[in-house]
Amino acid sequence: MNQFTNSLNHHPTYLPTQPFTNPIGRSDTMHKWNDNQPIYQQLKEQVLYRILTGSLAEGEPVPSVRQVAAEQRLNPLTVTRAYQLLTDEGLLEKRRGLGLFVHEGARMRAIASERENFLLEEWPRIRARIDALGIDLTTLISGESK
Amino acid sequence: MTSMNVIEAQGLVRRFGAVTALDGFDLTVPSGRIVGLIGPNGSGKTTALRAILGLSRLDAGTLRVADCDPWRDRPQLMQNVAYIPDTGILPRWMRVRDLIDYAEGVHPTFDRSRTERLLSKTSVDASRTIAGLSKGMQVQLHLSLILAINAKLLVLDEPTLGLDVLYREQFYEALLGDFIEGDRSILVTTHEVREIEHVLTDVVFIRKGKSVLAEFVDTIREHYLKLTTDAGTNVPGGYLSRRTSLSGVEYLYRDASRAQLQGLGDVGVPELVELFIAYMQSAAATGNEQNTEAQHA
Repeated sequence: MNQFTNSLNHHPTYLPTQPFTNPIGRSDTMHKWNDNQPIYQQLKEQVLYRILTGSLAEGEPVPSVRQVAAEQRLNPLTVTRAYQLLTDEGLLEKRRGLGLFVHEGARMRAIASERENFLLEEWPRIRARIDALGIDLTTLISGESK
Repeated sequence: MTSMNVIEAQGLVRRFGAVTALDGFDLTVPSGRIVGLIGPNGSGKTTALRAILGLSRLDAGTLRVADCDPWRDRPQLMQNVAYIPDTGILPRWMRVRDLIDYAEGVHPTFDRSRTERLLSKTSVDASRTIAGLSKGMQVQLHLSLILAINAKLLVLDEPTLGLDVLYREQFYEALLGDFIEGDRSILVTTHEVREIEHVLTDVVFIRKGKSVLAEFVDTIREHYLKLTTDAGTNVPGGYLSRRTSLSGVEYLYRDASRAQLQGLGDVGVPELVELFIAYMQSAAATGNEQNTEAQHA
């Protein structure tokens, strides 16, 4: 169970702000899902993030639908749907009779997809804010305000 | 997933004297789903469940449950359907051990080792009488018995009523971990919308004996928008409900265009509980109540 209970101390700032201390591991309190996105999407992003950081390693099995459903008190279809999205994106692979595994090369693929997402979705907003505040490159890099 | 439906109910009507408890109630429960039947007290939830379990006859409508007519084929139905009612009905004088013996004796598919395994995860002591168990333990015992029957359909009536939050969590964990498998389905009634929202695959709202909403939970949010704006703003008609709150006036729309609402105020996605309140309070939301004016008068 250890790989699932590792706490994720370093939240990258580009991820949703909900605190996900323990995405698909055991949690004794109800998960706080945000209301703006379907749960399966949020679950998918949590798994993606775990792949991205390597806390779910390539070639490793992911917890079963039933296990995640019970631990998170989510209906199994929601979990199946999240896993399906990840399978469609080539991050998980089904091994007949064995269940779902993190695909070889999934980490690079996860990084590429998050990178694209950052450049297309998040960066333009951040860029616009930087422009609006008139912060120049030097200040930005040095991280000090004048 | 198969496309077979474990419950098919169309136009169910049940009258008790002058009271119409079910008034054209429809319900479809496909196999492999967890369907929540949600309605306020007196909306017909329990009557619907009783009809589904063959405990109540119907005045009109067609009903098939696990390929049976529940009223006529009750013994056959009971092989495939398990039920936990909202009140403790386990015989209080019986010892846990004896109750397990009894279940093993009367039910053809009862798997004793399964019950014992499930109970070993709880603090229910097999030598105690039912009366000596707390409410939470009684529910754990009942669930452990029910999960040992190879039922296609599990019917739960307010299963966590009166349980503390810890028992509730354990209840849903056991249910999701041990019951759901392949094509087995659950029908659960509640008025605690928030508690089971994420556990459900489908949600059905019942109001005055009619189903007024039936949606897939994961996509329900794609159909509804909440517009929060100032009282004076001219908004498109056809909203489900209008409510004044601290932040302004809130309108709920079904299948409205986001672009059309965007310029008028804050547009967001309503919570399930907000939809529930909207459907329960607004006569217009039922869509088939023609003269709403007369009803409000």
